[in-house]
Amino acid sequence: MTVSTPLYELEAIQQRRGARLVLDVPALTVRAGRIHALVGPNGSGKTTLLGILGFLAHPASGALRFAGERVDWTSAALLPLRRQVTLVQQSPYLFAGTVEANLAIGIAHRKLGRETVRARIADALQAVALSAYARRDARALSQGEGQRVAIARALLLEPRVLLLDEPLANLDRKTTSVLEELIAALPGPDRTVIMSSHDPEHPRRFGCEVIALHDGGLVSAPVRPAEEYAPWARCTA
Amino acid sequence: MDFVSESFATALGLIAARDGEVLGAVRTSLGCALASTAIAAAIGIPIGTWIGIRSFRLKRAVVTLLNTLLAFPTVVIGLVLYGMLSRSGPLGGMGLLFTPTALVIGQTVLAVPVVASYAVSAVQGADARILPTALTLGCGPVQTTLLLLGEVKFAVVAAVVAAFGRVISEVGVAMMLGGNIRTYTRTMTTAIALETSKGELAFGLALGVILVGVALVVNMAFNHLQQAHR
Repeated sequence: MTVSTPLYELEAIQQRRGARLVLDVPALTVRAGRIHALVGPNGSGKTTLLGILGFLAHPASGALRFAGERVDWTSAALLPLRRQVTLVQQSPYLFAGTVEANLAIGIAHRKLGRETVRARIADALQAVALSAYARRDARALSQGEGQRVAIARALLLEPRVLLLDEPLANLDRKTTSVLEELIAALPGPDRTVIMSSHDPEHPRRFGCEVIALHDGGLVSAPVRPAEEYAPWARCTA
Repeated sequence: MDFVSESFATALGLIAARDGEVLGAVRTSLGCALASTAIAAAIGIPIGTWIGIRSFRLKRAVVTLLNTLLAFPTVVIGLVLYGMLSRSGPLGGMGLLFTPTALVIGQTVLAVPVVASYAVSAVQGADARILPTALTLGCGPVQTTLLLLGEVKFAVVAAVVAAFGRVISEVGVAMMLGGNIRTYTRTMTTAIALETSKGELAFGLALGVILVGVALVVNMAFNHLQQAHR
């Protein structure tokens, strides 16, 4: 899939919470191989849209296409899609047990050998600068460490799309710096990143394509081609 | 107070002497309660988990029904099953009435709603991020369910302990389906009822002390398990 290929195509997607319309996207195309910033104030529908893009929430109406195929919202059809797209929540949930056990959850179904799993976990932890954390109790980590473990857990799956919900919110400067560097290096021919943020500086810093939301609806925002920005120009060329 | 102290002394005496009748009742009580609790857990945990996870139209009604069954009189369950297992009943040909098997069946019917209802509460009270996290990590339905149950395991074990407490302390089903046959279907509770009706209050209370002791040991074991995993 080339970087200009539409990865997601949304048509008249609406989501409701009770009677209230919380998301209303008439049309949206998300192209592959880039980093996209989903921006907007709190309550603008960013998390709701990420839930739909992650195939975790069935929209109330509308059609969603992924890689050219219309999404069929049945359990059997969703499982293979969810194995291509991973969402890291704003406040990620870490299961009881060690960091290593948390990372192994998503690749359990791949029936890899124990040594292969260990090696991949080590690589993923190294990517988030937590190499020595494999045997740590996941529940005893700080917020920033937990966020990094959740991102490592997602990276281990080698997803086609990585959805990040406010990954840099409420983190200290050091953790923010580690994650910014990591996120900036993520997009590539086989990986698209969609990151939500309410920090207006993030799109500029990351050179993202911007999807701006307000009150659940799309608002016009400058769409900046990724090629304008140095860090991952090589990935999108 | 004499009555109480005499009862405790009698209880200790019976335990120390390893009284055959008492040990038989304890053995029957524990055996039937453990078997019925295990079967109820195997049935009730999947039912409760399914109800807790899924959204369906009559969910609230089903949960209300389960909660109502928690308070269902044991004698009514005993009566219904008695009708089914008696010779003229649809299952009479199996010859189960007044056997430990009938007791286990009755106690299982009592325990399933307890396990299922508590499992529903456990699943519904779980962190709302667990299911989406498991799903977004690509877990299938079985792995997702097991992950969820792993996260609420203490609440699920508490459901099983509550069911055990319900069946080991009930008397209606044990009396009606077991028949209180000495050394065969006599449980601690039916023995207490019998001894009390005979005027042997101290002996009855002594069995009550042993019954409470068994419940205490089970709960202490559960607490120990909880502490060990924290």
